[in-house]
Amino acid sequence: MHLTVNGRVHELRPASAETLLESLRDSLALTGTKLVCDRGECGACTVLLDGEIVYACLTLSAACEGATVTTIEGIAEPDTLAPLQRAFIAHDAAQCGFCTPGQIVAAHALLAANPRPTDADIREAMSGNLCRCGTYPKIHTAIRAVANGEFRTDAP
Amino acid sequence: MPRKPKGPSKSRFVSTVVEIEGRSETRIVELPAFDPAPWTTDSALSIVGASIPRMDAAEKVTGRARYTADITRPGMLFAAILRAPIARGKIRSFDATIAKKLPGVFDLIGPGDAPTKTRLFSNSIAYAGQPVAAVCASSEAAAVRAIHAIVVEYDADPFAVTFESATAPNAPKVRSSGNLYPNAPFIVTRGDVTAGLAAADIVIERVYHTPVALHTALEPHGAAAEWEGDRLTVWESTQGIFRVRADVARALDLPLSNVRVIKDYMGGGFGAKNGAGAHTFIAAVLAKRTGRAVRCINDREGEQIDSGNRPATTQRVTIGAKKNGTLTAIRMIADVPLGISGWEGGPAQIYHELYACKNVHTEETFAFVNASGMQAFRGPGYVEGAFGLESAMNELARKLHLDPLSLRKKNFTKRDPRKDRSYSGNQLPECYEHGARIFGWPKPNTTTRPLAATRMRRGSGLAAQIWPTGGGPPSYAQVRINQDATVDVLVGTQDLGTGSRTILAQIAAESLGAQLKTVRSIIGDTQSLPYTGNSWGSMTTASVGPAVRMAAIDAQHQLFDAAASMLNTTPDTLEARDSRIVVRDTDRSLTFAEVTAALGNVVLVGKGSRGPNPENAAINTFGVQFAEVEVDLDTGIVRVLRIVAVHDAGRIINPLLAASQMEGGILQGLGYALFEERILDPRLGIVMNPTMHDYKIPTMMDVPTIEVSFIAGSDANANHTGARGIAEPAIIPTAPAIAAAVADAIGIEVLEIPLTPWRVLSAIAAIAAAKG
Repeated sequence: MHLTVNGRVHELRPASAETLLESLRDSLALTGTKLVCDRGECGACTVLLDGEIVYACLTLSAACEGATVTTIEGIAEPDTLAPLQRAFIAHDAAQCGFCTPGQIVAAHALLAANPRPTDADIREAMSGNLCRCGTYPKIHTAIRAVANGEFRTDAP
Repeated sequence: MPRKPKGPSKSRFVSTVVEIEGRSETRIVELPAFDPAPWTTDSALSIVGASIPRMDAAEKVTGRARYTADITRPGMLFAAILRAPIARGKIRSFDATIAKKLPGVFDLIGPGDAPTKTRLFSNSIAYAGQPVAAVCASSEAAAVRAIHAIVVEYDADPFAVTFESATAPNAPKVRSSGNLYPNAPFIVTRGDVTAGLAAADIVIERVYHTPVALHTALEPHGAAAEWEGDRLTVWESTQGIFRVRADVARALDLPLSNVRVIKDYMGGGFGAKNGAGAHTFIAAVLAKRTGRAVRCINDREGEQIDSGNRPATTQRVTIGAKKNGTLTAIRMIADVPLGISGWEGGPAQIYHELYACKNVHTEETFAFVNASGMQAFRGPGYVEGAFGLESAMNELARKLHLDPLSLRKKNFTKRDPRKDRSYSGNQLPECYEHGARIFGWPKPNTTTRPLAATRMRRGSGLAAQIWPTGGGPPSYAQVRINQDATVDVLVGTQDLGTGSRTILAQIAAESLGAQLKTVRSIIGDTQSLPYTGNSWGSMTTASVGPAVRMAAIDAQHQLFDAAASMLNTTPDTLEARDSRIVVRDTDRSLTFAEVTAALGNVVLVGKGSRGPNPENAAINTFGVQFAEVEVDLDTGIVRVLRIVAVHDAGRIINPLLAASQMEGGILQGLGYALFEERILDPRLGIVMNPTMHDYKIPTMMDVPTIEVSFIAGSDANANHTGARGIAEPAIIPTAPAIAAAVADAIGIEVLEIPLTPWRVLSAIAAIAAAKG
C-alpha cells in the first residue's frame, strides 16, 4: 500500500492488525509521535490523516491506503519552525516534552479549522491531549499567541 | 579570584547531613578546593535570574527529542511482560510451549530463569500485576501475542489489600517477615501532648483519609539493554542514572564500571523512576541470553498497576489551642498501607515542622498489603500530611472564629521546631502577606464574577507548606572550554522535564562570563560524566548548581591565566562578560575565541564539586496557596476557579521554568484533591482503573487561573548559589487549600479526598439531615 507522510510517498506492507502509530514509529522511524495509552485516551499519538486529527494508536494502517499523513516531523515549514513551535518554545509550553508532539498537532488542526478560537474553543479542542507535567496554562498561552497573529513567519 | 591554594589539608573528607524527602542521611564529602563567594541578594547577575526559554525546547517541539522508547539498535528485540492476575497465591503450573513457537519469538523467561538478585519471576505471587514471565520477539506485537499464549495456573490464597485486613488477627502473611514495617509504629514525640491538650481551651479531633495516587507519567518506565562482551549499556527513563547503574551491577554481579547507563530525554518521573526495575532486568537478562539488544517498555496497564504510587493514609488528628489560636498540642496517629514494599514516607513530618508547638506526638503504622509497592511521589508524606494538618488548622480557625491566615501567622516558628535549629532562610511571613494581597484574602478580589447558576456556591481557602530542599553532596561537575570557545557543562545529572539542562547552563554562563548561546549542558551518561545523585527531593538545583558554578569559576581562572600573558597583565586584573575578557578599567580586551585560537588544541577543563551543608541549619522551601472554588450544590461538582501561590525558594534561577514547575505541581495537587484515586477491589484484590480514562488526571478543561510568585532574594546561607528547590513544594498545599475552599462554599468539611461529587453531595446531605 502507499501512504504519503509529510509529503513523501512510502510503500508499506502493514500486518493486518498494525496501527498507523506502529507503522510511523517502527517502519518509518518517525518517533516524534508517541505511544502512551494505546487506546485513544491521551492524545499523545495525534496525527493528521487527510487533514483530520486522528489517534494513530486507534487507526489501522491497512485502512489508510492512499492517505496523506502529517506528523510532528511535518509541521515545521521548509526553512523555519512553524509559528506554533516557536510559540511553544517562547512560552515554555513543553516540560518533559512527551505529550508535546500530540499537543502541537492538535493545536495545528484547531487553528486550521478555527483561526480565531475563543479561550473556551482552545480548552475544548485541547482537552483530549493529556499532560502530566501540567503545562496546560503555557500551552494555552502559546496557542492564544499564534491565534492572535504572533510568531507568524511573515511577521516583521 | 576566590581561589585558595590547594595545599595539604588535615580534613579533606568530612561528613555532612543531607535531607532527602524528609529522610536525613549522613554522607562523606570531599571539601571543595575552594569556596566561591556566595551570590547574595545584591549580586548583579544577568543570566541567572532571567526567564530564558528551555534550551532543549526545539528538540521537543519538533519530535526530534529521543526518549527511551525511541531508542533502536541493530537487531533489537522487543520484550513484553506477563503479569499475575491474582493478589496472592502460587503458580501451580507454567506452560510456555506454544508461546515459544510463535512467529518472531526469540526467547522467554519465567520462574527460575533470571539471576536470583534480580528478584524476577517468583513462584509465589504477592500482588496482582507482579511480573510472572517475559518474552522477547522481533516486534512488540509478536511479544504481546506470545505473552497471551503462556498458560499459567494459579493456586489462589487469601490476601490482604487493605490496612485493616493486613493488620487483623490471623491476617494472611503478606510478607514472611510480617505484615508491619518495620514491626512497630514510628513514634516521634516532643514535649507532653497530654499536658498540652489539658491546657487547651479548644480541642479539634478529625479523621482524614487520602487516596492511593498514581504517578501516571506519560512516558512509562522502560529500558533498552545491549551487551558488548561483559559490558552492558542500559538506556533508561530514570531520575538517577548512577543509582540504576548500582542496581543493575548488584543484581547481575557486574563491576560498576562494566555498566553504562544513558538517559537523554525522559517523559516525566515524579518520583517513580529512581532506580532500576523489573523492566530493566528483563531487558538486560534477555539481551544477554539472545545476544541482541532488547527493549522493554511497560504498557500502560502495567505502568498504572505496577510502577509505584503514593500510598493511602488515614490520619487521626487532634489539635489543642488557646482561645487566641496559640497551639498547645498536636497529635496525629496514621495508618499507611504501603503495598508489597515501601519505606517510611508517611504523613508525620510536616506535623512536627510547620508550626511553633511545644507538644507534638505522631505515630505512623506502616502495613504491607498485597498490592504493588509504593514509590516516592512528588512531596511524599508531606502532601498527605499537609492535607490532614492544614485541614485541621482550617477547622480550628472556624471553631475559634479566627481568620485562618491569622492563625498561621500566630503560630509561625522562627526556628526549626523539630531539631531546634535556625533556618538558612525563612520568608514564610512574606509569603503570607504577599499571597493575601494578590488573592484579596479574606474576600477574593474576583467575587464580582457572576455565579454560573443560583445553585452554585463559592468559597475560599488556604494552606501552607514546608519541604526540605537543601540538597547536598556528593555532586561533581566539569566545565570545558572547547577549541572554538564553546562551553560544555559536563554533569551526570538528569532533566526530567524540570529544565535542569537550561538552569545549569545559565549558572555556568553567568559564572564564566560566557554568552549563554555558547554553553550547552551534557547530561545523562554514567560512563563519561562526573557523578551526581538522583534528581529527587527538589534537590538538583541546590546540589548540582554549586558544583557547576565552581567548575565554571575554575575554568575561568584557567582562561584568565592564558589571557593574562596575551594582554600583558595579571589574571587578577581581568573580568569576563559576553564571552569577552576585559582588563578592568581599560579598553584592552580579548574574546574567548581569540584566546582559545591562540591556545590551539589546549582544552581547558574546570572542575567543581558540591561542598557540605551548613552545620545545624534547616534548609527548607516555604509557601502558601490560596484557592477559590465554585461548587454545584445539585451535582456536587467542584470547579477550581483560581489558585494563588507564593513561595520562598531562595534565588530563582529561571522564573519562566520555575513558574512552569509551580503550575505543574498545582495541577497535580488539583487532581489529587478532586479526581485521582486508584480503585483496588477489596474482594478481588485487583486494580479496577488501570487506564488514563478511568484514573482521572486533570485536562486543560480543569485548569483554573493560576498566579505564581516567589519572594525575591537569595539564600546565601544554604549554598553559594542561593537557590533552593521548588518542584515538590508546588504540590504540597494545593489539596488542603482546595478542600478548605469547598468547606467554605458548602458549610461543611469533606474529610476524604478526592472530593468527588458523591463525597461532596454526601457532606451536603449530612448538613441537611442535621438540620432535620
